[in-house]
Amino acid sequence: MTAPVIDARGVDKYFGRFQALDKLDLTVGTGQVAGFLGPNGSGKSTTIRVLLGLLRADSGSVRLLGGDPWKEAVTLHRRLAYVPGDVSLWSNLTGGQAIDLLGRLRGGLDARRRKDFLERFELDPTKKARTYSKGNRQKVALVAALASDAELLILDEPTSGLDPLMEAVFTECVREVKEEGRTVLLSSHILSEVEKLCDTVTIIRQGRAVESGTLDDLRHLTRSTVHAEVEGDPAPLSSLPGVHDPETDGRRISFSVDHEHLGPVLSEVTSLGVRSLVSNPPSLEELFMRHYGDETAAPDGGTEGGERR
Amino acid sequence: MSGFTGTGTLTRFILRRDRIRLSVWTLALAGTTAATVPVLDDMFSTVEERQGRAALMDTPTGIVFGGPGYGLDDYTLGPMMVNEMTMTLLIAMAVMSILHVIRHTRAEEESGRAELLRANVLGGGAPMASALLTITLVNLLIGGTIALTLIGFDLAAADSLAYGLGLALGGITFGAIAAVCAQVSGHARTASGLAFLAVGLLFMLRVVGDMAESGGNLLSWLSPFAWGQQAQPFHDLRWVPLALYGLVIVALVVAAHLLSGRRDLGAGLVAARPGPEGAGRLLRGVTTLQLHQQRGSIIVWTLAVLLFAVSFGTLAVEVEGMFETNPDLQAVFGTGVDDVIGGFLSFVTSYVIMGAAAFGALSVLRLRAEENSGRTELVLATAVGRVAWLGSALVVAALSTLFVVVAGGLGLGLGAAAVLKDGAWVGRLLEAVLAQLPAALVFGALAALVLGAAPRLTGLLWLWLGYSILATVMGGLLEFPEWAMNLSAFEILPRLPVEDFEPLHYVLYAGAVLLLGALSLVGFRNRDLATA
Repeated sequence: MTAPVIDARGVDKYFGRFQALDKLDLTVGTGQVAGFLGPNGSGKSTTIRVLLGLLRADSGSVRLLGGDPWKEAVTLHRRLAYVPGDVSLWSNLTGGQAIDLLGRLRGGLDARRRKDFLERFELDPTKKARTYSKGNRQKVALVAALASDAELLILDEPTSGLDPLMEAVFTECVREVKEEGRTVLLSSHILSEVEKLCDTVTIIRQGRAVESGTLDDLRHLTRSTVHAEVEGDPAPLSSLPGVHDPETDGRRISFSVDHEHLGPVLSEVTSLGVRSLVSNPPSLEELFMRHYGDETAAPDGGTEGGERR
Repeated sequence: MSGFTGTGTLTRFILRRDRIRLSVWTLALAGTTAATVPVLDDMFSTVEERQGRAALMDTPTGIVFGGPGYGLDDYTLGPMMVNEMTMTLLIAMAVMSILHVIRHTRAEEESGRAELLRANVLGGGAPMASALLTITLVNLLIGGTIALTLIGFDLAAADSLAYGLGLALGGITFGAIAAVCAQVSGHARTASGLAFLAVGLLFMLRVVGDMAESGGNLLSWLSPFAWGQQAQPFHDLRWVPLALYGLVIVALVVAAHLLSGRRDLGAGLVAARPGPEGAGRLLRGVTTLQLHQQRGSIIVWTLAVLLFAVSFGTLAVEVEGMFETNPDLQAVFGTGVDDVIGGFLSFVTSYVIMGAAAFGALSVLRLRAEENSGRTELVLATAVGRVAWLGSALVVAALSTLFVVVAGGLGLGLGAAAVLKDGAWVGRLLEAVLAQLPAALVFGALAALVLGAAPRLTGLLWLWLGYSILATVMGGLLEFPEWAMNLSAFEILPRLPVEDFEPLHYVLYAGAVLLLGALSLVGFRNRDLATA
């Protein structure tokens, strides 16, 4: 694999005394759609602004498309397109003018793609920006970014103002972008969106990346839930290593199990004679809640919230 | 009427929100008066000195910034106050009232905060009512303090009260004018621009009227700038002119209220039309973007300065007339009529330069709003470098400042040349304004430095601009020492054609402006962008 498109290591960023980023690591490989998850105020936008060279990292190393985003901002920006979380436009320009302007400032726009995306997002380009809603302003920035030929798209909560129909259009567009081999960094707090689109996920909390890897990788770090109905007495299953929170009801049992113990536990289940068996991998929501659901949980064993349905 | 529900709460909220802003205005205006009165008293202690001063107030410049000249024949402290201070105080109170009313009506709607409030139990008329109520309170407070100050200096109580009330009513009138302007446009900037335009036109109306006839003619009576002085406090007090303020205020407030009832929240009377589907060929870089964004304000400022300049230029003929009929004036100014006209016009060039300087600073500081709103972020995330972004804004600001300066010089020159039938004035006055160009540019350059290196220090910039204007306009009267005069940005370069051009000062001043600009680019390159 070639050098990663985004490679940030140990990045610190302070605003006065407030530490916005705390030894943050973020790596995105070429052609990946990378999810960047965290609630409001966790440092997602700050990270993106460091990547764009709008803010300077206080320490750590940041490489973007093989260059230094602070020093080589202009040359690097020719190869990327950015959609901010809260798009503010020039109130006396129309949406169409703003799209063309942003495209030209980047170094060109594909007229055919521009037309195509305008239609798909159902955006009227003749309206003055001051009359656009938040969602429509976001569409302007999205069309400008998607219609470009950028290798890298940096999207900061791009769907926060879009309705569900437009969100579906957005999902489709990102899939196409991925098929074209382009790289996408998608910051979001909408888990289903990330789950649908992303190859890798980085979860950020208080300026620090607390989890990162492919969705499969992350799932391995946590527990699956198992619901089973067996011929024999399910009680002995409760005491097996790796089994947590067992609940029995006659011949039914449900519990959660550490990923590394899943195999042995399931063989024990089958040995009791399976009538029905459902095993769910953890959803991203559970992964997320593991880090955020209970703020007081100890860092190593903070597993509450995630398992309970 | 339920349309005004919540006015009381909102009034208290405005007073709480603006407690510092309004206190500063009150203290500054009342304080200036309290400081000036003893100076006037002290400076002109003998009858000869007082009447000498009165003769000066009878000159064109004296009439422009003084008034119709009631009480000049017995120029004691009271008439002195009325003639020397009224216009400065009125203009300041007009500016304060306009800014306050727009800030609490149209600007609130534009930002969306009004929507948040209006969704609560709040009548549609409440925001405007509370904005006008608060500005009425503040104007009365300032007028009252000034009246008490004058009474404190042993001036007649009734005249002092009439004078203070006149000032207060004048301020309130401009607040009411702003309330009407706030209904017309959907943008706070356009609305305040309209209101300031009204200030300029009404001021000129009084000047032209007062120039034409001693004591003013009908034109003066059309302007709220005149009524306070027409009440003739400390001369021959009559209260009737003050009633005009009452009538006009009521009419304006009713008009504003009716207009506001006819429109939706956030909308102007002029509806937004659809625009082009794509960007034209011109809109392709940051410089054209900056030009496009500033087009409106460049046109408005240029026209305003041009109008001001032409009307002052034409006053040259009045100067000529006065000089010929008034032997005292010949004594004060000495020799030739051209020197007197030149003296008058060269003093007016300072006003052109002040206007251009304020415009230049505003033009650069616009970038701060761009940055705070996130639009700068959007641009800098494309292949636009920071130096190119700020640099393009500086180039546009500098060129449009030059444009305004040239318009001012040309206007003065054309006005003077037309009435004096001497084309040489065009060249002379163009030369005169261009000889002060660095003073017009320095505030834009300083604004850039503040923006690039220390965005929090913007207040200092306005402080210096305010001081420079005060020193240049009032410094002579208040007998500022030479070092204090030299702190004014407008006093560093000589005023042509009366004074001689000094190349060395010019080059040094221009160099300082360029240096400030260059430092601002370095600063902007090395700082974090403000994030929304």
